Amino acid sequence: MSTSTSTPAAPAGARRSDGPRLSFARVLRSEWIKVTTVPSTVILLASTLVVMVGLAALASWSLQTGQAQLDSGGPPPQMGPPGDPLPDFGDLARGTPSSGIIFGQLLIASLAVVLIASEWATGMIRSTMVAVPKRVPALLAKNVIVAAVSFLIGAAAALLSYVVAQPILAVEDLDFALTDDKIVASIVNTGTYLALIAVISMGIGTLLRNTAGGVVTAVGLFFVLPVIVVNLISGLADWIPDAARFLPTNAGEQLVAVVAEEGALTQLEGGLVMAAWAVVLLIASLLVTRRRDI
Amino acid sequence: MIEAQGLFKRYGDKTAVNGISFTVHPGKVTGFLGPNGAGKSTTMRMIVGLDTPSAGSVSVNGRRYAEHRAPLREVGALLEAKAFHTKRSAYNHLRAMAATHGIPNSRVHEVIEMTGLGPVAKKRVGGFSMGMGQRLGIAVAMLGDPQTVILDEPVNGLDPEGVQWIRHLARGLAAEGRTVFLSSHLMSEMAMTADHLIVIGRGRIIADAPVSEIIAGRGQLRTRVRTDRPSELLAALGGDGTTSTLLEPDLLEITGPDPRRIAEAALRQQVLVYELTPLQASLEEAYMELTASEVEYSSHDLPLGARAQDVPEGSRS
Repeated sequence: MSTSTSTPAAPAGARRSDGPRLSFARVLRSEWIKVTTVPSTVILLASTLVVMVGLAALASWSLQTGQAQLDSGGPPPQMGPPGDPLPDFGDLARGTPSSGIIFGQLLIASLAVVLIASEWATGMIRSTMVAVPKRVPALLAKNVIVAAVSFLIGAAAALLSYVVAQPILAVEDLDFALTDDKIVASIVNTGTYLALIAVISMGIGTLLRNTAGGVVTAVGLFFVLPVIVVNLISGLADWIPDAARFLPTNAGEQLVAVVAEEGALTQLEGGLVMAAWAVVLLIASLLVTRRRDI
Repeated sequence: MIEAQGLFKRYGDKTAVNGISFTVHPGKVTGFLGPNGAGKSTTMRMIVGLDTPSAGSVSVNGRRYAEHRAPLREVGALLEAKAFHTKRSAYNHLRAMAATHGIPNSRVHEVIEMTGLGPVAKKRVGGFSMGMGQRLGIAVAMLGDPQTVILDEPVNGLDPEGVQWIRHLARGLAAEGRTVFLSSHLMSEMAMTADHLIVIGRGRIIADAPVSEIIAGRGQLRTRVRTDRPSELLAALGGDGTTSTLLEPDLLEITGPDPRRIAEAALRQQVLVYELTPLQASLEEAYMELTASEVEYSSHDLPLGARAQDVPEGSRS
């Protein structure tokens, strides 16, 4: 390696007057560069899009064959949990744009945890916080970027899913228009849902400062806890199933739901409850990061 | 200019930095010297706000580091090696850091040139050797063309060429009127680079003085004497305050009396002396003496005051 022995040759007097200094827009730009310059995050984002659209295509195909089976007078296909009454296929079809969310949220949650926790794992966080020593702008910028990217990926995946699903569903006349009731909201809110998942996960990752612990905690909160509450302990007390509606993913599901369920939160309520989780975790992570040593 | 006042840092019941006050002035290289675990890195982390002091305060150019509008232009810091994401390239790391302050890309290329990172700039940092990691850390520190430069153990992992480059860089920055604060546990490195020393041990400041003063103020006067009749010379000097070692049959090292007294005694006794060399205490010795009681992790099987090499007066530039 060659060694250059030159020292910076900036005139000492000129350096104060000109531009370079911190601003939130610049910190945002820095965080954007960070997201786009680590290959794994880019790959994870691309996979999220592909997997979500793929799942929606599969779901449409499954609906189409199910409908065909019904039409031909065969035995009713198995849709959803065993023993449930056969749902309306038209309603199910209109849920296909957001059907990739189940897996998409897992990838987005991992991404958000990794984005912040890997900074602690690698030591990058020290560079970040020396450049932005007030810390809060750096974390806020990271949240804004991950939320914006997740929103765009979610909404784009839902829109693509809609486009891909139509010809498949059309075979059995299950196709529907974008202008149908709640469809646009469901597509846009697929993005909203993933953005909120991202902020909640980043909050967890920031508080734990550990990738594995963060991913496990996020998965526990989003996937395991709802299952435990609904399947294992809901019989213990009347209030438990009631309270379960306020878990982040249970509440958030209402954001993309095309059919209002009995007793569930409304779309707005569900969105607000999930947003409250995000805001609480964001504020907690900002406060803790400001106080704790890096 | 860095000013620390009554700086304390406790981790649980362990005190890392125990109420230190010091000022690092612009225009010279100030060495921060101390054994491992003495509190050097903790102090430097407090300067740039990564650690919050338990008590006391530290300011850079008159303000807390975090209060500056353009922190990277005030202070360039190389803290522990490898504060980078291993999957990102050196170039992109620099770009991301520069973006926070709107520092132009041309400056990114400048610091890559300056630190000799050109050939590896597009490679992932994860594959870097420690020396290249240090160079990248220094490139980041220089991004903002800062008025104050803080380097924590900068020569760690560098090859001899790199070590020399750091020395040159530190001296050059100081010559431009910047504040240069450099930590090391290597005395020899400090002797080469620093003008002023702050010596720390167990979280306390043991000495804060120009390098020359620290060397002059420590260590007893020693003289190397070559003579055919060492025992007669020693007898002539008398016992009080004089200790000696016979290094070779005709070579003595005498501690206590100054060269003139030795020469007078030799003259009186008619002992032929054909070498009389005053020995200056080395910085290493001065440092060992200063920190002997302050070493946190001392190795007991090795004598702590292990013989320091002697530097004949005048051979230090």
